[in-house]
Amino acid sequence: MTDVSLTLEGRAILQGVSICASEARIGIVGRNGSGKSTLARVIAGLQAPDTGNVRVHGIDVARDRRAAIRTVGILFQNPDHQIIFPTVDEEIAFGLLQLGQPKAEAAKGVRAILARFGKAHWSGASIHPLSQGQKQLVCLMSILAMRPRTIVLDEPLSGLDIPTRLQLMRYLDGAEAQLIHISHDPEVLAGYDRALWIAEGRIAGDGAPDAVLAAFKTEMHRLGGLDDIADLTG
Amino acid sequence: MISLTSPVETRAHDWPAGAKLGALSLATMALFAMGGVAGHAAAFAAMLALYAAPGAVFFRSGMARLRVLWPFLAIIVLWHVVAATPGQGAVIALRLVTAVGLANLVTMTTRLSDMIAVVRWLAAPLRRVGIDTRALELGIALVIRFTPMLAAKGTQLARAWRARAARRPGWRIVTPFVLCAIDDAEHVADALKARGGL
Amino acid sequence: MERNIALVALFAALIAALGVIPQVTLPFGVPVTAQSLGVMLCGTVLGARRGAMAVLLFMLLVCLGLPLLSGGRGGLGVIVSPTGGFFIAFPIAAFVAGLITQSWRRVPLALSAGVAAAVGGLVLYAFGIFGLAQVLGKSLGEAALLVTVFIPGDAIKAVLAGLITSALYRARPRAVLSRA
Repeated sequence: MTDVSLTLEGRAILQGVSICASEARIGIVGRNGSGKSTLARVIAGLQAPDTGNVRVHGIDVARDRRAAIRTVGILFQNPDHQIIFPTVDEEIAFGLLQLGQPKAEAAKGVRAILARFGKAHWSGASIHPLSQGQKQLVCLMSILAMRPRTIVLDEPLSGLDIPTRLQLMRYLDGAEAQLIHISHDPEVLAGYDRALWIAEGRIAGDGAPDAVLAAFKTEMHRLGGLDDIADLTG
Repeated sequence: MISLTSPVETRAHDWPAGAKLGALSLATMALFAMGGVAGHAAAFAAMLALYAAPGAVFFRSGMARLRVLWPFLAIIVLWHVVAATPGQGAVIALRLVTAVGLANLVTMTTRLSDMIAVVRWLAAPLRRVGIDTRALELGIALVIRFTPMLAAKGTQLARAWRARAARRPGWRIVTPFVLCAIDDAEHVADALKARGGL
Repeated sequence: MERNIALVALFAALIAALGVIPQVTLPFGVPVTAQSLGVMLCGTVLGARRGAMAVLLFMLLVCLGLPLLSGGRGGLGVIVSPTGGFFIAFPIAAFVAGLITQSWRRVPLALSAGVAAAVGGLVLYAFGIFGLAQVLGKSLGEAALLVTVFIPGDAIKAVLAGLITSALYRARPRAVLSRA
């Protein structure tokens, strides 16, 4: 990502962001409103930046969508904002059909990924009665079935209870793709290879997680002593 | 979402949906072309027999669905008793119940997936002309997926309202409800784009 | 493109969800179902073409056997039932309402949408009365008499449709395709 800037509805969300990262596990921390979610969407190619360009494994993700979906997957915070179909099988198969696989092959792929996650008994299940954690797992399986090289995680663990969070993190850690995990909670990124800190649309820290996350935590506590919650953005 | 297909498995469940729909269309046209009470009484009896064939449970649930017609049957009966034209009234009432009963019978014995297959088959000529029918199939899936979710959100909105208001929600709850639908649409559009779009 | 499909599908789901939710009580204590209101909103918010598509999609699912009509009704029986005329008129009413909202821009949206919904309602009644007359074997005048009790409620719904459309435009202008 080179010199990426983006302004939405008059507000500068990202300003001159440049990142070059090839580590397997990358964490991105920031306060809510710092631009992290927008950054996630830019990396996934869902949003084209105003200036600069974004390439993931050489693909211009905003322009070449067909190659982009093979290369980058994105897991959103709320699975209900992501699941399109009413049953588990249809949801997982959708991405495979979009990649051009014929129906029979897609069905095989669905069974394979369900088996890999030990969820073969979920075949034929309806989405509606699933819990948030289970829905999030369906989203993760839907993405992994497409075998992307990089997966962007936009705060996928928020709102889940502790056991569900730990279980989901185990599934994430076992994924073969490069993970770019975005979070406002530094604890989940502790074991990662590299950490970036984004503040007000700019990179405020970049390097080994221990150092960056410690500095982030200190700053967050300092801000906690202030009252900027009172400020209106408009 | 639960469809109106009957959980009681009948032989008709396995008959091709297209054939059942075709037969229904013919039967309905015949019903509205027929005249005498005797003919309609026979048709009515035949319809009841079809409902009775799979057993008591099926029969009862089928009759329960016809209960909705009560007010209209009452109007017909009253009208024709007052106008002293019982024969005409009988024809109209029997025709009504038989037509709705036969249509419901097809609905009860046809699985949703089979119905969707018929839609896909009917849309085939459009595909040959070059129209992309994927949007239709996606639309069907989306409605099935989101109706229960929106209904649940509606209930939540009503609860939030009643937590701070003495009376039940009025028309003002419709606007935030529609906003839920609009916002969900934005997320769905994103989710579609994230996986290749259309 | 994806946004259009999503809006059409979600408004279809909206009509269905409005059938699931119990009746709303209007001013003057008249209980009505909000579903026909939903049909009009499809037209006034999404415009003629997409509004009609949303309603058609909803109707397709009802015919396929889903209990989406208020009261949990659905299936093919709806078409041949006494209220079948109203059902068949749904997409036409939405289309007309959308056409008026799209075209009549010189007045505030609330007025344009309100009138559009009222005219849409007239379309519903026209087809509904015809259908009722056919199925019950009555004359048009007699069938019309049967539905007069619902007219005040539907008149109020038209006004509400105007107000709601206007409020939606203030909140999410980009989503109100009839004024795009």
